[in-house]
Amino acid sequence: MIVCSDISKSYKHGSVRKQVLRDVNLSIVPGERVALLGRNGAGKSTLIKLIGGVEMPTSGKISRHMSVSWPLGFNGGFQGSLTGYDNARFIARIYDRDYCDIKAFVDDFTEMGRQLKMPVKTYSSGMRARLAFALSLAIEFDCYLIDEVILVGDQNFQRKCHAELFEKRRDRTMILASHSTDIVRDLCTRAIIINNTRATNYEDVGAALDIYSAL
Amino acid sequence: MILSTATWTRLRKGWSIQIRVIHALIIRELNTRFGRENIGFLWIVVEPLLFAGLVGIIYRVLRGPEEHGVSVMAFIATGYIPITLFRNSIGRCTAIFIANSSLMYHRQVKILDFVISRLVIELLGSMIAYVFIAAVLMAFGQFPVPADMGLFLAGWALYVLFTWSLCLIIAPLSEMSEVLEKFLPVVTYVMIPFSGLFTMASWLTPDMRRYLLWSPFVNGMEMMRKGIWGDQLTAYWNVWNPLGFSLVFIAIGLALCRHIRKDLAVE
Repeated sequence: MIVCSDISKSYKHGSVRKQVLRDVNLSIVPGERVALLGRNGAGKSTLIKLIGGVEMPTSGKISRHMSVSWPLGFNGGFQGSLTGYDNARFIARIYDRDYCDIKAFVDDFTEMGRQLKMPVKTYSSGMRARLAFALSLAIEFDCYLIDEVILVGDQNFQRKCHAELFEKRRDRTMILASHSTDIVRDLCTRAIIINNTRATNYEDVGAALDIYSAL
Repeated sequence: MILSTATWTRLRKGWSIQIRVIHALIIRELNTRFGRENIGFLWIVVEPLLFAGLVGIIYRVLRGPEEHGVSVMAFIATGYIPITLFRNSIGRCTAIFIANSSLMYHRQVKILDFVISRLVIELLGSMIAYVFIAAVLMAFGQFPVPADMGLFLAGWALYVLFTWSLCLIIAPLSEMSEVLEKFLPVVTYVMIPFSGLFTMASWLTPDMRRYLLWSPFVNGMEMMRKGIWGDQLTAYWNVWNPLGFSLVFIAIGLALCRHIRKDLAVE
């Protein structure tokens, strides 16, 4: 269970303050797959970062009663100057996992071969996403935070993600920021629309998508 | 028992996570900073070694083998190794949070861990350098067998503690103000005379001594040197000075770190 109570987030730049989220309340029960919908810049990624603990809310409180992955997206979580394997080793260490197991899974899932011995900064965003997914799948979280990335990969990657995430790990909780109406309709059990700093919850995904399309 | 068992388990768990994270950060930092080529992480040892060695030789040439009854080479080495530790630690902790912000993706990594892991690296490097240079100088009869190892280590510990407490303040401040970041190298340079590097407090006039002993660095340095030379020199120190300053600075630093974490924007 993840509970956000009254969270607000604003960013300060010089004397300007930009309010991104205001008084967001939501709770996510194990097994739910929640879609975050909203236009560019509405605050989907910000909410995912707050839930993942990457950034702190300006006010309000988030409590997590299950293990939550880091936000899986184009960037973040990696040190660019280190190789894919070095990053994997670092992550294995801080999550207290056996590096050999993680390495085997990463080799198998990413199919990146020798690229894994190159610095992460040389990777394309698709490759980064592969690596991030592979690592987070190898660690096994109760809840996966997914920021857009499912769409960046090629066919093969999308197939693998689908198999690993939505078939083998169907029971897991997921929070998914996406613009793809198809993915949301097929996979999510409920939707949250973020618009104008407010988050509104919709139990009916179809209805939410209709409203979202009209935004 | 004051703490319940649940609290204890949580504390122990938190502690083991913290140790794991710091360990991982140290290895990662060594990898990024020194790579795997040439002598790699030995650079952290070589740098203070070169500093203390070369400056020692210059002073040896300028001032002769002994001053106030102690070996000039050894005196300079005992001064330079701690000051290199201090200057490197300060240099390393500026803009530390922005540079590492991609690691904030992993919740168990706290910004405090960055400051700790970098200090540990500097600490390891300078301690190895210290032992090495002392051994070499000892072989040439230039370095005494420490008279009071406990006192020396206590002085070293206080010196390091105070350095760390300063890092804890400077790391978040450098994030808030660019001006401070630019001023730091100058400030750390100017403070060299006030660090007890070149003089013992007893070589000064009583007035000067009183002012200088306000510096936590001088207190630590006096203890270290007294620990090494024992009765060969007179030292003045007050343990509570570095301890008090450090505790106050740590409290301020922790508050600042907490404040900066709240506004830290991670890409």
